[in-house]
Amino acid sequence: MNSRTEHAPIIQMKNIEKHFGAVIALAGVSIDVYPGECHCLLGDNGAGKSTFIKTMSGVHKPTKGEIVFDGTPMNFDAPRDAMEAGIATVHQHLAMIPLMSVSRNFFMGNEPVKKRFGIPFLDKDKADTVTMQEMRKMGINLRGPDQAVGTLSGGERQTVAISRAVYFGAKVLILDEPTSALGVRQTSNVLATIDKVRKQGVAVVFITHNVRHALAVGDRFTVLNRGQTLGTAQRGQITPDELQDMMAGGQELATLDDALGGTV
Amino acid sequence: MKTMLKSAALGAALVAAPMSAYADGHETLSYVLVSHAPDSDSWWNTIKNGIALAGDQMGVSVEYRNPPTGDLADMARIIEQAAAAGPNGIITTLSDPDVLSGPIRAAVDAGIDVIIMNSGTPDQARAVGALMYVGQPEYDAGYAAGLRAKGDGVGSFLCVNHYISSPSSTERCQGFADGLGVDLANQMIDSGQDPAEIKNKVLAYLSANPETDAILTLGPTSADPTLLALDDNGMAGDIYFGTFDLGENIVQGIKDGVINWGIDQQPFLQAYLPVVVMANYHRYGVLPGNNINSGPGFVTADGLEKVEEFAGEYR
Amino acid sequence: MSDATQTPPPPADERIKDISPLRQALIRPELGGMVGTVAVFTFFLLFAFDSGMFNAQGVMNWSVVSAQFMIIAVGACLLMIAGEFDLSVGSMIGFAGMAIAIFSVTLGWPTWMAIIVTFIMCCSIGALNGFIVIRTGLPSFIVTLAFLFILRGFTIYFPQKLERKTIIGGIADAAEGDWLAPIFGGKIGQGLFQWLGDMGVIDVFERGTRQGQPVVDGIPMLIVWAIGLVIFGHLLLTRTRFGNWIFAAGGDAEAARNSGVPVNRVKVLMFMFTAFCATVFATCQVMEFGSAGADRGLLKEFEAIIAVVIGGALLTGGYGSVIGAALGALIFGVVQQGLFFAGVESSLFRVFLGVILLGAVILNTYIRRMITGER
Repeated sequence: MNSRTEHAPIIQMKNIEKHFGAVIALAGVSIDVYPGECHCLLGDNGAGKSTFIKTMSGVHKPTKGEIVFDGTPMNFDAPRDAMEAGIATVHQHLAMIPLMSVSRNFFMGNEPVKKRFGIPFLDKDKADTVTMQEMRKMGINLRGPDQAVGTLSGGERQTVAISRAVYFGAKVLILDEPTSALGVRQTSNVLATIDKVRKQGVAVVFITHNVRHALAVGDRFTVLNRGQTLGTAQRGQITPDELQDMMAGGQELATLDDALGGTV
Repeated sequence: MKTMLKSAALGAALVAAPMSAYADGHETLSYVLVSHAPDSDSWWNTIKNGIALAGDQMGVSVEYRNPPTGDLADMARIIEQAAAAGPNGIITTLSDPDVLSGPIRAAVDAGIDVIIMNSGTPDQARAVGALMYVGQPEYDAGYAAGLRAKGDGVGSFLCVNHYISSPSSTERCQGFADGLGVDLANQMIDSGQDPAEIKNKVLAYLSANPETDAILTLGPTSADPTLLALDDNGMAGDIYFGTFDLGENIVQGIKDGVINWGIDQQPFLQAYLPVVVMANYHRYGVLPGNNINSGPGFVTADGLEKVEEFAGEYR
Repeated sequence: MSDATQTPPPPADERIKDISPLRQALIRPELGGMVGTVAVFTFFLLFAFDSGMFNAQGVMNWSVVSAQFMIIAVGACLLMIAGEFDLSVGSMIGFAGMAIAIFSVTLGWPTWMAIIVTFIMCCSIGALNGFIVIRTGLPSFIVTLAFLFILRGFTIYFPQKLERKTIIGGIADAAEGDWLAPIFGGKIGQGLFQWLGDMGVIDVFERGTRQGQPVVDGIPMLIVWAIGLVIFGHLLLTRTRFGNWIFAAGGDAEAARNSGVPVNRVKVLMFMFTAFCATVFATCQVMEFGSAGADRGLLKEFEAIIAVVIGGALLTGGYGSVIGAALGALIFGVVQQGLFFAGVESSLFRVFLGVILLGAVILNTYIRRMITGER
């Protein structure tokens, strides 16, 4: 057992069910996430990953089940509530505006102000300094705080989004497929960022369907299949092949896996 | 001989334009004509030709300027601009005294001579300090046309107004209605400037009001599509049709008997005469003692020859 | 390693080139507008210097025309950066002017009340534009195009119905002694200009009732409004939280919403601000000329958009500069009036305008790619 389990979990999802009319998207999914761990949520397309994290971030209300955040049961009415509680989501489609500078993006919606003549002006110096500092922490050297986000690579944009969420006090960081569209090198940058964030004590929920990415940084792994969880495994207790099999739904694809020579 | 020339030139310069004394003693008189017409109004081509001809004959330079969209506030800026450039004289229309009298007055006060042409009235021209007015008083022209139509037995009409935002256009329709002794009320339509639109609006009005006795159009812009509309619905030659101004199609319409008469305000004179008057005033100090009425003249099927020859160019 | 402080750490991605400080200082959204302004003034200083364009009267002439463009360009610029268009600006100018005329002349209200009610009414119409765009998700292009016709129609209909004419005059008489009217139609600095006239620095009228007075007798409030709005717009956009939200709303509304930016509120407010600017334009105009006409403001929406685009803003939103838009308006005004001074055949104005527009847009696209890394 690793030391993290000695702490209380920051967020617990207990027997979450979500029905959309006659469709049962989630049929009783339970996970818990501890501060400072990277909890990987794996599953094939349509397994219910997106519905599950949307429930966690307050977009959907669960049909049944309970969300316990920091020891107290929560009932999120809107994403805003979850955000204020400290649950931040970095979406597949980033909340980043390419035409705007990094520092303007970093503080978008949370701009610092400084009163001059009684008028609240944007505190650009603070925004610029903080941005540069936070980016340096994550190993990104900007040309300047005015550099547009459009000039950054996909991986760097993910990093900006992640460090923004952390800077604004996220206790739980949900990353929705952050590596799905990235090249090898940029992926490793993002994975390194996840590692840094985890070490700051933030709980990371990392959604992916790439087993290798999950294994690179994950502490624990939960696999979703057809709206159900197939259990949570500790790092070191499971092999890549087992994970792959679980994601694919067990037997049926094992043969295909063989046919492809284990390249999936 | 040399000294005589010199003193003549000097005299001319003194009489002409105190504002712009040229260093070399040689005097080129320059005038600007400012109209209110949008670029799309083809009627003003005659004006352009008129000033070009007068400029050539008198040996002066005349420029034509207009607000591209017909926005009178823009026209006011053009008059201010013309005044700032310091020409010897400005020839301008006065289609809205509220907007234009300020800039015109300022030009006059700055020492630039002004002649009002086309739109406006002799009274308004005097009020802004212009030398004279050359044109056709719009309401009077409409009234005269109304009387004529009444004599021909007309009791109701349609006024196709393609320039509704200009008060002088509405005055033409109003004058016509008063001449007939009827209420203008809904007998005027805002046709817009697009030919297809004008044609369809006329067709729609006539099918909704088939008992309409007469049509009055305010120029080639509205007359040409109206001719096509009457061809379409078979009323050509049947309905009483009068129009302001002339153009190639209008002349053809008069010849064919579709149009009963055209009111010729003789725009050529409105452009040509002010240039001639001003050049002579600036060179020799002579000025006619009164305003000049360039119209109205009624052009009917009789005596169309010259009109036909120069329609759209000088007529 | 004494130079360690000077050499920046290697960039994370070596494909991003370092840009020299000079180049960086030059590359800004306004650059196109600045280059254009210098080019245009150079051109006219060379070809129209003696034409009166640069005497007091001439300067005032193109300044006033440019100021008119600036007033509507500021509104159009902020709205465009917020990702929307307003094609009803021109009609709004006609409508607002006519409203003031009807209220003060036909209905006999005090001028200040006519002006205030008109402002409230027009800003509400701006808000309505915004609400329709947001609720329906229709492109603002279409919604405001509808208002272009609706407002223009009313502008012709009401005076026609009430006064049987399409131009209502007498506003100047009605506004005599009013406290609010001079804020729009007045002039400032008369004393200074009288002094300049007395000193012979600027020409004076030679005859008439104003003999001895300078040909330019003050700075019209129109210019003061233009400068005020440009400064306000620039500060709002670059120095406030709200300005950041304007960029965000236009850059990517969905991303902005995800970050907690009240996108709908920003957009509605920008529609209202655009309407406000159009009403300022209209009020200054009717107070100066004393009449409102049904044809006022025709095509002004496009002139505003052209000025904004010359000034470096992106038609799709999220990028632009108020200073740039103001320079665009200056270029527009100087070219429009300057060609008259230069004695160029006036029908060629559109040719020049087209050439300048194309040149500015190409230059701006190039600059923007450098800044934002667009490909």
